[in-house]
Amino acid sequence: MPSLEHIANVIHVWLNNTFSPFWATLFEFVIVGTCIIGLFAMLGLVLIMMERKVSAWMQLRLGPNRVGPVGMFQTVADTLKLMVKEGMTPDGADKFLFNLAPFIAMIIAMVVMAPLMFAKNFQIWDINIGVLFFAAISSVSVIGILMAGWASNNKYSMLGAMRSGAQIVSYELSAGFAILSIVILTGSLRISDIVNSQADGWWIFKGHIPVWIAFVIFLIAVTAETNRAPFDLAEAESELTAGFHTEYSGMKFALFFLAEYVNIFVVCAVGATIFLGGWQPLHFGTGTKFNEIMDYIPSSLWFIGKTFFLIFVIMWFRWTFPRLRIDQLLNLEWKYLLPISMFNLLLVTLMAIMGWHF
Amino acid sequence: MTAAQIIFYILSAFILGTAILSVTTRKIFRSAIWLLFSLIGVAGLYFWLEVEFIAAVQIVVYVGGIVVLIIFSIFLTQQSGKEMAKASLVRTIASALAVVFGFAFTFLLIYDYGFEAGNKNFDWSVSKIGSQMMGTKEGGYALPFEVVSILLLAAMIGCIVIAMKSKPEEK
Amino acid sequence: MFITKYIKEVFGGVKSLLTGMKLTGWYALHHKKEKITQQYPDNKDTLVLPERFRGEVVMIHDEHNEHACTGCTACELACPNATIKIITKFDITPEGKKKKALDTFVYHLDLCTMCNLCIVACPTDAIKMANTFEHSVYDRSKLLKILNNPGSKIREGIE
Repeated sequence: MPSLEHIANVIHVWLNNTFSPFWATLFEFVIVGTCIIGLFAMLGLVLIMMERKVSAWMQLRLGPNRVGPVGMFQTVADTLKLMVKEGMTPDGADKFLFNLAPFIAMIIAMVVMAPLMFAKNFQIWDINIGVLFFAAISSVSVIGILMAGWASNNKYSMLGAMRSGAQIVSYELSAGFAILSIVILTGSLRISDIVNSQADGWWIFKGHIPVWIAFVIFLIAVTAETNRAPFDLAEAESELTAGFHTEYSGMKFALFFLAEYVNIFVVCAVGATIFLGGWQPLHFGTGTKFNEIMDYIPSSLWFIGKTFFLIFVIMWFRWTFPRLRIDQLLNLEWKYLLPISMFNLLLVTLMAIMGWHF
Repeated sequence: MTAAQIIFYILSAFILGTAILSVTTRKIFRSAIWLLFSLIGVAGLYFWLEVEFIAAVQIVVYVGGIVVLIIFSIFLTQQSGKEMAKASLVRTIASALAVVFGFAFTFLLIYDYGFEAGNKNFDWSVSKIGSQMMGTKEGGYALPFEVVSILLLAAMIGCIVIAMKSKPEEK
Repeated sequence: MFITKYIKEVFGGVKSLLTGMKLTGWYALHHKKEKITQQYPDNKDTLVLPERFRGEVVMIHDEHNEHACTGCTACELACPNATIKIITKFDITPEGKKKKALDTFVYHLDLCTMCNLCIVACPTDAIKMANTFEHSVYDRSKLLKILNNPGSKIREGIE
């Protein structure tokens, strides 16, 4: 079976042999862009379907089961419905910013995908600041929400935007600390270096207790950063109608919805990359039969499998825990997660210096 | 003109255009958003120069930090959705003069001294950046700077503790 | 001490969260067996409703087309939102006495909240809650029901 790396190389060589380097690069841009947009659409359909099915299982319901076999085409039908719906702009809204906001949210979700490593040697941009790039761009995602909340000219939207702003700004810190602890162990911000450093064991195994703590903090913080339950105060249906996207309808609403799910995918992919070894297969010891069998599974499947496992965990959170109040939310961050992650960072540094990890 | 030059001019036009919009718009929130785009354009310029670390720090500090703070303070002010009054003629002329002088100053500097074409390779690894910042050799005074800022932080916390009202004794 | 309390709080919090996740995780794994959703229009033939399900108020008639309603209007008085209206008439008993009896038991299904108060109030157990629940009609006037069958009369010996 040809690997993704192989396919990419074949296309690259063919393009460079057929066209001049300038046109070859341009065509590669177009191909990558198309692939990313296709991946977006697929992720939207698959993740929304998965969310609805997982929530149904956890609540002992059936979930969508009418459109197509076991309801598989429900999300396709929903998308069609959203496409033909009218996208309204309220009269009192700041029309320019109102229409710009969903695209900002979408573009940011797209840009964060650049340094992700989808399979062995298969990456869009192996930037030397990989995880810092991720942290930087995801801190901008709050802008789309603030813009949407303000431009809607609606008190619910405004409150939702304020809440989500406070939430994202504060939880970014502990997410950053959790990522930093792995950066300390690896000594590099580059995603490919981080993945390669886990060839002899994932960090979650090699780094034992401090990395476990960092992993749990990372999961909590990214759940809050993507505005999902139990931290979905920005939307909070029972209090704020729908929060920052109250006034949005049709495809503009769909873009926000899609951006949310793509963000979940991205943060889970980053979590899988830095804690669970990215595309590295599961190995025990060296040279055993078990390792050989694991090596047969393609690297892209390992990456997707780990990412979807983390997505499942985050969905599990959503359908188990009740929503926090705003003061509880800020207490959790500033009184618990931040001190613990700072202390944990010191612990990780000590561990890296003394070589206590495996 | 090479592709890199075209990208440079597009980025510069983007930065200048959004900066001009940011100071001429009469809605305070839009002004903040234009400022944000301008800063993102500057980050894009850093990416174009292939100094990714600086670009990411630009985005974290300015876009993710300062502009969000500005937007928050706009949200908390009254009448942030209203159009502001037109600037008076004196102010318009004064600011135009300031722009002209600033432009003339920069232009003269560049005209007299020119740019030295850099031939240094920027492809520095992150560990190199880190040791450079922590080092005490030439250009490596980030660590003492941070120590001073921690001292300031300690002083600030001390001030807050002194100024804080003590809790009434529990009986 | 402060720090032990803090650590205890953190561990207690994590433990309680894990307890919740264990339950939902168990549900997610056993959803095939444990699921409670009824596939309603498909299982119409095999649908079994609980005995105490409240669908609508009906009057019990026996095989001789006789009911137990004396027309005492206790249910009408008990009803919180005027769902029941009882029209009475005067029967002449064989002894030549006048006796109050039920003429029409009018029941507005559209106003009823299935609160069961009328059934509790009835001294002779003449009415009960039925299991039927498919009440949708195209015209609201069809929801106005007369509960006593035409030509029915009160059973002997009920006062």
